[in-house]
Amino acid sequence: MKLSNILYGILYLGLISFVASCDNDDNDSMKMPDLNADFSGTYSQVDHMGRPGINTVLSADDATKDAHNRTLPSNMAAVFQAGFEARLEAYHDVYATILGADPAAVNYENNILGLDAASLTGYLAADVLEVAPNLPTTYFNPGTDADMDGRILVPDGDEVALTGRNIQDDVIDVSLILLFGGMEGNRFSGQDTDGDGMPNLPRLTSDGVSITASPTTTFPYLGNPE
Amino acid sequence: MKKTKIYLGLAICAVATIILVAADHIDAPSSMGTTADIADFYAFEPTTGSDNTVFIVDLQSNVLPSLAYGTFDENVLTEINIDSNGDLVEDLVIQAIPRDGIMYFFGPVAPSQRGLDSQVLVDAPLGSVEISAATAKVTTTTSGVKLFAGPRQDAFFFDFFQFNAVIGGTAPNGFKAANEAVDTFDGANTMSVVIEIPNSMLGATTATNALGLEVYKTWVTSNRKQ
Repeated sequence: MKLSNILYGILYLGLISFVASCDNDDNDSMKMPDLNADFSGTYSQVDHMGRPGINTVLSADDATKDAHNRTLPSNMAAVFQAGFEARLEAYHDVYATILGADPAAVNYENNILGLDAASLTGYLAADVLEVAPNLPTTYFNPGTDADMDGRILVPDGDEVALTGRNIQDDVIDVSLILLFGGMEGNRFSGQDTDGDGMPNLPRLTSDGVSITASPTTTFPYLGNPE
Repeated sequence: MKKTKIYLGLAICAVATIILVAADHIDAPSSMGTTADIADFYAFEPTTGSDNTVFIVDLQSNVLPSLAYGTFDENVLTEINIDSNGDLVEDLVIQAIPRDGIMYFFGPVAPSQRGLDSQVLVDAPLGSVEISAATAKVTTTTSGVKLFAGPRQDAFFFDFFQFNAVIGGTAPNGFKAANEAVDTFDGANTMSVVIEIPNSMLGATTATNALGLEVYKTWVTSNRKQ
């Protein structure tokens, strides 16, 4: 089966529309610092997070996850890239087996950003969240199909990406598209390739859920606890 | 021989991911489910064209029973790290630590020491805010920094149980369609620390993202008193 030749029906959940509810009581509750409070001592790092889901998804085992949380970002790519790449390939092998294909023949395909497996996993291994001070924030917004080639996910000049993370950004779908979407972003998206009404390829480029929480437009932006 | 290897691989995947939750929720044994478990991290421009940046750190989550949730731990120092020259070493840090119902913030300043151990930057107080109950109480400092700490909705969304089935090899069709998928985090809460800060206090950046856009490279750590 030549996966790259399969026709695609695009499936992309755009940015979720913003639901506003301004019900926070913005009391001014500034306190004078308590000069008697004891802040002494040494605090040693336990957990680390940059981009969502990286350590969880791409570290292969518990020891690696703990080590990742205790590694400085400047050292992360050197330490974790190879393991992340192997993990990415292992995920593809899971579906090769299910599809009845040779795992060695179903491999990661360069993604919509043109990154090969080593580049993508090296980029993700250095686990930091980039935020642009002077640009609109979006984890990934494909923009419009500016070059009218029918491929909205494929960069054509008007996309904005990697400028931060909004509460509403569907970071899981973006991550899935970058990991499993191939060069057109829809490589494994539940396609029915033989027209029998049943999918022949797994749906790996979207988890199917949208935000259920209710962010607000005013500080602190997250909804009241439920 | 080959088949054995495949099945072994599937079994390892399944075992490794039984208790797996993203974005960073419960990501590794040493922090998993503790008061120092970072659940999520957001960084964004609050409105288009704003001169401020918002950082949200979610600690703990009650998405699963038996996890630590509901009280900030006075032995846990939360640190937002900001790299503004692209070397993945923090140039500025913002710290938050609770004492007696109040969350104290320090920075943004260059840290007194880099690496895995930290001291509270008592010479650089930023402000403080009473830790909220269900209704948000916020502080705005004289320098225009907004501060919040307290329980909030866990806004992360992900069909995590289906994800485990997907990578465990027990979901031949992959993720579910939108009308069947379930947001595991619907109804969950988290302990949030939110800060909105003028970009002028963070300075200019020369770091760039994969698309060449100017960004701060940021990450959050939790640190436990030794």
